[in-house]
Amino acid sequence: MFELDQRIAEQLTEVSLNSAVQVRCGNSNAFMVTASTLIPLMQMFEMGGVYICATRGAVEIIDGFEAIGVDVSEIHFIDLVSSGILGGTDITHPNVTFVDSPIMLESVLLRTLYTLRIAQSERNFVLIDSVNALAIYNEERMLAEYLHTFINTFRQREVLSIILNVPDQVPPMVLANLDLYCTDLIDRGQVVIH
Amino acid sequence: MQPATVYSRDRCITGIHGMDEILRGGIPYGSTVLCSGTCGSGKTTFGMEFLVRGALSGEACAHFTATEPSVKLLENIRQYAFFDMNMIDTGLINVFDMDVLYSWLGLEKSTFDLADVHALIKSIVDIVNTIGVTRLVIDSVTTLCYKIKSEQLIRDFLFTLGKKLATLGCTTILISEITSATENAHWSSFGVEEAIADGIIVMGDVERMGHLLRFLQVVKMRGTGHSRAKHAIELTPLGVMLTPMLKWGAMSDKQSRWGS
Repeated sequence: MFELDQRIAEQLTEVSLNSAVQVRCGNSNAFMVTASTLIPLMQMFEMGGVYICATRGAVEIIDGFEAIGVDVSEIHFIDLVSSGILGGTDITHPNVTFVDSPIMLESVLLRTLYTLRIAQSERNFVLIDSVNALAIYNEERMLAEYLHTFINTFRQREVLSIILNVPDQVPPMVLANLDLYCTDLIDRGQVVIH
Repeated sequence: MQPATVYSRDRCITGIHGMDEILRGGIPYGSTVLCSGTCGSGKTTFGMEFLVRGALSGEACAHFTATEPSVKLLENIRQYAFFDMNMIDTGLINVFDMDVLYSWLGLEKSTFDLADVHALIKSIVDIVNTIGVTRLVIDSVTTLCYKIKSEQLIRDFLFTLGKKLATLGCTTILISEITSATENAHWSSFGVEEAIADGIIVMGDVERMGHLLRFLQVVKMRGTGHSRAKHAIELTPLGVMLTPMLKWGAMSDKQSRWGS
């Protein structure tokens, strides 16, 4: 039986549409934390939104939610992973679009803005999964600059930003900047002390 | 103390997402703007959206196509949600094949002389005047100028055309094909177009780790303040969308100094 972390839903009742929430998770609880964040947004707060998939392909994430009985057909997925895999984009989900690579950060921002322009929902979120995956491809300073732009763009438009990361594996400069830009922190990260 | 009165020219609001912000309100009316770009950079889409946004606000628009037949152009542009074939049917957007125009004028020849150039200018201006066109796109001026062999004649052609269209209150975009949009490149094929134009918009690609990211940059625009930053662009079904390019990612790989 899949159990959600109910305290995350409680914490989300405190945020507003122009908030930016840093969600820290660990390697082993990433899906549980993601689901515990996404499900209340969709079901309790009746929000629509955009899920930016940099860690895993969109289909794998959709399948994961379907396996726990959650319908995510109203969420739009921007997949940054599958274009790098032969045949990865050969799918039938109408709510998935692809960006060639996680290096195309501005394209991700524009595609998200475009998706929000055609979105049916008046209250929306954008979720980045995850900063760690973006950090594989993008230089530290550029990623910090991007997150700064990204968060401010959506705060200005009253779209809730959710930024997922595994904190002990995020470049220190990026993490320090996230601490500065984000208005709220949901911390389920498992800090490893070496 | 009274605040100083600032004179501001009337603007042609492009309606393109982000573009009017870059131009602090739009292109000054009657300007001739050179839109130079490499292949696949989005010049034709940009030009067509400029016309469609004008048509949506009731302006009469014209598109002279020299690079592809009008039928093919319209087929390509129909995929965009912002485009509506009714705009063609109702005469708000008028598309002219340059080949047909040459044929009407008896200019089916490989090289144009002074008289031919003047006949061409007169026919374009007559069309603009007759229809009452306020937005015009010539795609591309490069293809057109290939027939004009002298630099001086190209300069005269563009200067006279721009001047006459401005008098008619027509804002014109001249699309120009270039092979490179890097720092050392010319912004036009013949090197004279950029001196004549009131504005220059450069479109090209930044190569980032093997991927091409489209960009747009307003290099010059007389009569208005404007951003000169590189902007990343995306061609969406709703049209061109722009966002400032990341400062740490604005240079192509060859020029970048990441991590230094």
